[in-house]
Amino acid sequence: MKKREERLILGKGQYADDLEFFNMAHLVFVGSPHAHARIVSIDIEKALALPGVITVITGKEVAAHTRPLPVQANFTSKGWTWRLADVYAIPADKVRWHGEPVAAVVAEDEETARRAADLVVVTYEILPVAGDVLTALEPGAPKVYDDWEDNKQVHLLFDFGDPDKAFDMADQVLPVTNREGRITGLPIEPRGCVGVYDTKNDSLEMWGSFQTPFLSRHNISATLGVPEAKVKINAVDIGGAFGLKIHAWKENVVALASKLTGRPVKWMEPHRDFVATGPHQRDVFWDGKIAFKNDGTLLGLKAKVFHDLGVESTNKGIAALSIFPACSSPTNMYKWVGMHVEGIGTVTNKSFYCAYRGYGKDKGIKFIEAAINQVAKKLHMTPEAIRLKNFIQPHEFPYHQINNYVLDSGDYPAVLNKAMEMADLEGLRKRKKELAAQGRHLGIGLVTAIEPAGVAVPNCQMGGITEARVLITPDGSVEVHSDRTEIGQGAEISHATIVADILGMDPAMIHVKRVTSDFIGQGPLSSRGAVYPASAVAKAAKLLRQKVVHCAASLMKIPADQVVLEKGFIYSADAPDKKISYAQFAEKVFFFPGPRGLDPEMLKAHDHLLDVTTTWYSPTTPESGSAYTSFCVSADIAVVEVDIETGVTQIVKYVHVHDAGTIINAQVVDGQIHGGIVQGIGEALYEGLNYDENGQLMNTSFSNYLIPTSVEAPDIEIAHLETPSPFSETGAKGMGEAPIIGSKAVILDAIEDALSDFGIRVNDAPATPEKVRKWIKKATAQNLETS
Amino acid sequence: MPDNSAGNNAMKNSAMKNFIGSRAMPDLVYHSPDTITDLMVLMDTHGTSARVVAGCTDFIPSIRTGRWCFDQELNLIDVSKMDELHQIEKQGDILKIGAGVNLTRILESPEVQTHCPVLAQAVEQMASLQVRNTATMGGNICMASPAADTVPPLLVLDAWVMIHDAKGEHKVLLTDFFTGPGRSVLTSGQVLTHICIPVKKSNEAAWFQKIGTRTAVIISVVSAAVRVNVTNGICDTARIALGSVAPTPVRVTTAEAFLEGKPLDDQVIKEGARLAAHAISPISDLRSSKEYRKDMAQTLVKRSITACTEALK
Amino acid sequence: MKMPLTFVLNNQQTTLEIDARQTLLEVLRNQGGMTSVHRSCEEGECGACTVLLNDEPVNACLVLAASVQGAAVITSEGLVKNGKPHPLMKAFTDELGIQCGFCTPGMLMNAYALINRAGEVLLTDQIIRKTLEGNLCRCTGYVNIIKSVQTAQKAKLAGDWW
Repeated sequence: MKKREERLILGKGQYADDLEFFNMAHLVFVGSPHAHARIVSIDIEKALALPGVITVITGKEVAAHTRPLPVQANFTSKGWTWRLADVYAIPADKVRWHGEPVAAVVAEDEETARRAADLVVVTYEILPVAGDVLTALEPGAPKVYDDWEDNKQVHLLFDFGDPDKAFDMADQVLPVTNREGRITGLPIEPRGCVGVYDTKNDSLEMWGSFQTPFLSRHNISATLGVPEAKVKINAVDIGGAFGLKIHAWKENVVALASKLTGRPVKWMEPHRDFVATGPHQRDVFWDGKIAFKNDGTLLGLKAKVFHDLGVESTNKGIAALSIFPACSSPTNMYKWVGMHVEGIGTVTNKSFYCAYRGYGKDKGIKFIEAAINQVAKKLHMTPEAIRLKNFIQPHEFPYHQINNYVLDSGDYPAVLNKAMEMADLEGLRKRKKELAAQGRHLGIGLVTAIEPAGVAVPNCQMGGITEARVLITPDGSVEVHSDRTEIGQGAEISHATIVADILGMDPAMIHVKRVTSDFIGQGPLSSRGAVYPASAVAKAAKLLRQKVVHCAASLMKIPADQVVLEKGFIYSADAPDKKISYAQFAEKVFFFPGPRGLDPEMLKAHDHLLDVTTTWYSPTTPESGSAYTSFCVSADIAVVEVDIETGVTQIVKYVHVHDAGTIINAQVVDGQIHGGIVQGIGEALYEGLNYDENGQLMNTSFSNYLIPTSVEAPDIEIAHLETPSPFSETGAKGMGEAPIIGSKAVILDAIEDALSDFGIRVNDAPATPEKVRKWIKKATAQNLETS
Repeated sequence: MPDNSAGNNAMKNSAMKNFIGSRAMPDLVYHSPDTITDLMVLMDTHGTSARVVAGCTDFIPSIRTGRWCFDQELNLIDVSKMDELHQIEKQGDILKIGAGVNLTRILESPEVQTHCPVLAQAVEQMASLQVRNTATMGGNICMASPAADTVPPLLVLDAWVMIHDAKGEHKVLLTDFFTGPGRSVLTSGQVLTHICIPVKKSNEAAWFQKIGTRTAVIISVVSAAVRVNVTNGICDTARIALGSVAPTPVRVTTAEAFLEGKPLDDQVIKEGARLAAHAISPISDLRSSKEYRKDMAQTLVKRSITACTEALK
Repeated sequence: MKMPLTFVLNNQQTTLEIDARQTLLEVLRNQGGMTSVHRSCEEGECGACTVLLNDEPVNACLVLAASVQGAAVITSEGLVKNGKPHPLMKAFTDELGIQCGFCTPGMLMNAYALINRAGEVLLTDQIIRKTLEGNLCRCTGYVNIIKSVQTAQKAKLAGDWW
């Protein structure tokens, strides 16, 4: 069952950095020290003169030998503002962010390439920087893309339900703002790959830390101008991804280097490169107002959300695409009359924006949860009371939400009630009062969320494509293929469990294969692993089961409805002792007697091989247009203590109740929850990418981009409910991103509760000790003034 | 422990060089002397191309980030194998610690725990186990980081260091050792060999606290060490030192002078802490603003003095 | 400068030709074939390259290979006996203290040294958390890692250990 884990634990992992090819060369990128500058000249002579250097690739070579990076999402047809930039993998004219590659050195070994990288002399003409999301929109601001009118990349307007009616009906309207700082996902393993261009066949094969090989193949072949059918991308063991290894960009240069040198070329990204030139996320500012009745009934929202997208150049629309879910997700799990949400995306001189666990689905939920807690305070309601009043009820599923999401199933009140019971909410509130009497500041946070999972939207590379193949080999072992790369989320365990259960096999017989671009699919992103690929695998296994039954009935001369598949054996229900193993069965089907021993009707239908390839698409999306298929549910209750003299937050207790439908493997689900929660805590308390006024990224290492260590991570108490999804093949719901949503919101809410004496709104993440202390000092000064 | 000799001509300004995620190590000749005599010969032979290292926990990152660059081959002298630099020994009223002693040994040493526990208290909050197993006392001092967490405790304990050069050995008070961020009085051909610390007296208590953006494995935003000696309820000696608030770790003598001769009651402690924060003018940087640093200096000093008085009860 | 290096690697006397500027991480991976020693930050911040140097966990990226002359180095490959996973490894698999697997070998080495140091003293959450603070993990939230270490210690106390 844990084949992969057993292999990795023995030190037998093969990650990108472990790849070795005969005659392999090494590539190192040379980055710009400036955030915005014209490239006046590049002198590579000194670098080329260093013994061991094979070539230096600059933007000129890239422009001569490749095409601009391909468009990945395009909504120009909608009548909204939607701009794209025409750029190459390495620019020839100007650099747009600190660290952007201006050259790539290829050498016999990595050390030599690194040395030569220091010898590349680039002359820049420094340009003023568009550094701030709001000033970048002002008239006369420095432009990131010269041919754009201004720095606004995207402006999207959404009307869900009837927003004006919602505000007409309201007793009260409350303004709410929220800011999330710029962060990055930062798996411990950076990006890396080896490109092997076969000059005899003009074909390309790559191995590396690819989260979505099929999409990477498309993007790399489009850039290189090699037919997609002649390119193959192989995912090796991946040291974490979280969305950051979806799109290929620097990988194009590796492929080009192999083509130009005729040698296998390896690139292993230094960690600082990964931070400075990798995907960034969040960096949003919400400005909205929420409408409600005096009895706590929620009615509507009008809001704008500003995104600092950084440069747009490397993923061509995928960054901007994340504004869609950001704008749609504030509906969360409540009933509404209407919402009007505007999403604005601005380009600045910072590294590009792309996916990280949450992508955008998280943003609206975090905002609305904070807003609802403000409403509760205003109405002197408890946070649980206002939620219980507004939840969609268990009998209302499937529920057609105002934003077109079709919510599949769940028992929202049950999830919250379970969390309150586990946390002993009343006891906690008593404890808070007791500690307050001693001058201590305990805070209790409460947040509920759903997670839209399994994205399928038009006009982009996230359309909901997926394919799976399950086959039984002649010795009875089973191959499982899909687009779901193993990025540490238990893909192999889950797929093996699903297939073993359906075929009645010992999981040891199931071999989940490494993912390559041979199988169609957008891979594990948007928590679609348990939705699309797992459904496709389950569907293929079910079809294969029918074939097994048919073949067994034919070979064993028993009625099909009597065939039992159990624990690796096949037998007739009335003769359990006359059983044959899958190995014996497969041998019969393939060779002895082989197809000639099967039912002639099967042969006439060309349906004899134990091999099924199939695709899967959400049953709900085609008619409803719902961008997502499953919606898992969670409730988070966190208790923190804030040291008001230092601003330091300590997490005292953490409770998480979860309903992700049918659980395929409980350990895997718990692992996702633990990891997501701790990542959310990192975002809430420590993580922030800081650019200075010149556009220099100040923190590019683990020593100053602070992710939680084992010391800051809390113990986490988990409970599960299981309400199957009617829309996935297994009843399971995607859940990989849910924990990061609730945890960030709940920690901030708990801090706000701890600081309730001061009347502080905690609406600017991360809530670092310094920031918390600043809020306290400011509030103390204001309170003094008013008194 | 690298000698941060000023004017080392191999070092260059790295401000606007190419952005390179991780840089190559320079060409090296590796030397591992056994004795101080051998070390002196090596330093004399190789002059400015010589560089002394012990744990390498700062040396290697400084190369990788481009903070230090070397054009020519470097003679790297690793002093971590020298027995003479590995002792922790009580000599009369002094605890003598070899510069090559690693931080884990400091933390676990019964001598340190008995005779200057505040040093162990600081070391426990430094870096990770892996780094503490390699990084040395001498290295932490010689790197002359304003954020070096071993230094405030040593300053409040009135520690001094022994420096060896061609002329022999001499003593430098730690208060006189640092000349700026990454700079010290050490010059080419000199090496720090020992740290000498007056042992704890019965009427003495000392305390260290630091604050960072995260709890574990974190560079201090502010660190504070306090020592007081109290006789008949009156503080007769006070030492307060702060890290990360100035170009070097500093003592705040005005606050010390205020505490001396007074009973350490809440009012006095509060005022002492206020004076300590008043005496410093920290800068704003990535880790913190100057305002927060002053604010935290006050809180940490207050808490540390209070902890000392609690310990003396 | 090229130089010979003789040390004990996973209980085997080993002599390699190295360059003085190589770190232990580079030598273990490139010449020693120990690819479980993972390279990430190269600055001693992440712990993915943790190995035991004379039984103490160190970051191999911060150790000059030349300095381990005569020393004993153990990587996670060295915990495997006759192809069988060490009981500590088994605990990490059983408790799923592993997700992407990248931090795991370093985590194992730090945990192995901790359990050996602890002897009969039962390892609390707090001690384990403090000890592993230099091994960053982005996947697991550390919960199952703590559990794995505790399970492994139980195995050791039951005599299942080497």
